[in-house]
Amino acid sequence: MNYYKVKSILKSSFLHIFLMTVAMACLFPLFWMLRSALMTNETVFVDKSFIPQTLHFENFIHAWEQGNFGTYFLNSIIYTTSVVFCIVIIASLAAYAFSRLKFPGKNLFFYMFVLALMIPLPGSFVPLVVLMNKLGLANTKLGYILCMVNVGLSMSILLLKTFFDKMSPDLEDAARIDGCGKMRIWWHIALPLARPAIAVIVIFNSLNVWNEYILAQLLLNDKDLMPLQRGIMVFQGAHSVDYPVLMAGLTISVIPIIIVYLAMQKHIIKGLSSGAVVG
Amino acid sequence: MRKLLGVILCLFLVVGCAKKKQDMNTISIWHWMTDRHEAFEQLAVKYEEQTGVKIKFDLYAPSDAYTQKIIASAQAKVLPDVYGVLDKKEIFASFINSGFITDLTEEFQKNNGEWEKSLFAKALNVNRFKEGNIYDVKPGVYGVPLDVTNIQMLYNKKLLAKAGIMAPPKTFEGFLAAIAALKRVGISGLVSGWGEMWMADCFASNYAFNIMGEEKIMATYRGEISYTDPDWIKVFTIFKTLSESGAFAEGIVTKLNKLAEQDFALERAAFSFNGSWSVNIYHDMNPDLEYGAMLPPVFNKNRPMSIWGGAGSSLVINNSSPRRDKTIAFLKWLTAKEQQAFLAKETRNLPSNREALSAIPPILSQFAEVMDNTTHPTIWMQNEFPLVLERMDKGIQSIIIGEKTPEQVAREVQEVKEKELKKSRRGR
Repeated sequence: MNYYKVKSILKSSFLHIFLMTVAMACLFPLFWMLRSALMTNETVFVDKSFIPQTLHFENFIHAWEQGNFGTYFLNSIIYTTSVVFCIVIIASLAAYAFSRLKFPGKNLFFYMFVLALMIPLPGSFVPLVVLMNKLGLANTKLGYILCMVNVGLSMSILLLKTFFDKMSPDLEDAARIDGCGKMRIWWHIALPLARPAIAVIVIFNSLNVWNEYILAQLLLNDKDLMPLQRGIMVFQGAHSVDYPVLMAGLTISVIPIIIVYLAMQKHIIKGLSSGAVVG
Repeated sequence: MRKLLGVILCLFLVVGCAKKKQDMNTISIWHWMTDRHEAFEQLAVKYEEQTGVKIKFDLYAPSDAYTQKIIASAQAKVLPDVYGVLDKKEIFASFINSGFITDLTEEFQKNNGEWEKSLFAKALNVNRFKEGNIYDVKPGVYGVPLDVTNIQMLYNKKLLAKAGIMAPPKTFEGFLAAIAALKRVGISGLVSGWGEMWMADCFASNYAFNIMGEEKIMATYRGEISYTDPDWIKVFTIFKTLSESGAFAEGIVTKLNKLAEQDFALERAAFSFNGSWSVNIYHDMNPDLEYGAMLPPVFNKNRPMSIWGGAGSSLVINNSSPRRDKTIAFLKWLTAKEQQAFLAKETRNLPSNREALSAIPPILSQFAEVMDNTTHPTIWMQNEFPLVLERMDKGIQSIIIGEKTPEQVAREVQEVKEKELKKSRRGR
């Protein structure tokens, strides 16, 4: 075997070992969660084996029933799809306008959106509750959706504007010559080209909305309006925690996010590597 | 396809956005007690059957998020009929002074104080503001305790028997002897979550009360007595003695209480310093655990041991509630003997109603029996500056790990105390 071949094999082996270690470090918490979900409260602290001796699949049924997951799951799907849909439409329109159009106060408005990123969510709790109550939107799905759209908008506009700024204007010029208006250029040219950036926005915001609980708890009183995270909270007592059922609940709750990630994986990697998140 | 998706999403929005209104016969209660929610809902059904009044319990957990919701709702003036204020006493006072909480003094005193007498006085005191209180609150009782709690020592019967100890030690010397016996058979002594500094602070406070009594502690807080006083040195020396005798389980100074609870539940230590809430936890982790509760062993035999305790969870009534009378009637019903016994049985918490004690499990009775020995910073006339307490707690940790002597810690605490006193005098 020649020197270069040995060098290449060694290099690739090290790289693979390193990547496998990183992958295991990422997957281990998920595995531990699944393993704990299959145990009982008595064995979860005692049994240190990787695979429990007796598997308690009934924990998933308990989690679904006790946590009222049916209602919360549907609510979370409604919130996530509505918020992400609204964010993609509004953010792409706004980002396209900030990137391509000339209008008075353009920079001022853009920096206002960017500044909104600096306000931590807890800092806006009280004003949001007061505002939603004054608008009669407290304890409604619409109120919560609007607040969550507001939470995700700034970051999404910033990402998309960065993407549009880097996009060549030639295609748009050609479309304009063919008679396209601004809206048609946005819909037919800008939006399809921004697919990788949109994929990043979809996954970031889906994760954000799917895992959100604090704002939901603040704005919603009816438990029938609550998202999935409310169901998980039920297993965490003030002093004691039902760990196996909690882990079963968490396992159920991560499945949709894993599906979204796997479905958009190709676009996300493209989006990240093509500079969608350089902003 | 795109149009269809748009229509579906619009439908979701429209269907989900109808606002619901609450009727006048429904009492709304916001609480944070995850482990009691189911029992509350059962009681709500029972109450509706008896009176026709509907009770709506809404759970918001964890408690930090609940606190944020209450503060935001108070500012937006959308508080429910009944809620809890989980924050410090000064926040509780500010809620009262802002008119968010009903004064229940008259209600408690009705019928020759029937309601007041049925509850533990110590529990009620947590919600009581005395004449001349520093918060400028009109004297009275502003909350209803649902349960009581106290922090004691717990012992594992099996492990003590293994070391030949037949009864839990009552004195400090007896405790040291028990530790030596346990060490001989390789059993770890005392475990507690002293990584959460308030727990070590609580243990120190117990011994301070036992060694010097409340008046001298309050005099120290007022700045009239120094932390270098021999009695305070004795308090700090307790930690040194325990540490040197190997009484503490490994890593006690950094251990979180949840982990300490695991250690005791899984029989890794013979003693634990923990609250009455742990009965629930130990039951979940190890239903077969054989244990009992005991007061921390006395150091000064001439003075009783005081432990921290009082109201566990309390509820208050919204002063602007249009259903105030119905709400008061419900809370009276909820704290009556039968309902309290039910809650104690279902949730393994100590009832706030004295009469319900006869119907509770033996281990809870052991906790309840010493309710008269309880005290709590929220009912003291003075409280120490937070920075002084922090210095003291860190100092105790340093003593346990052998980094500092009790005298050194006493001097350091006194230095911080003097700085804080100067600051507060300047502030006036």
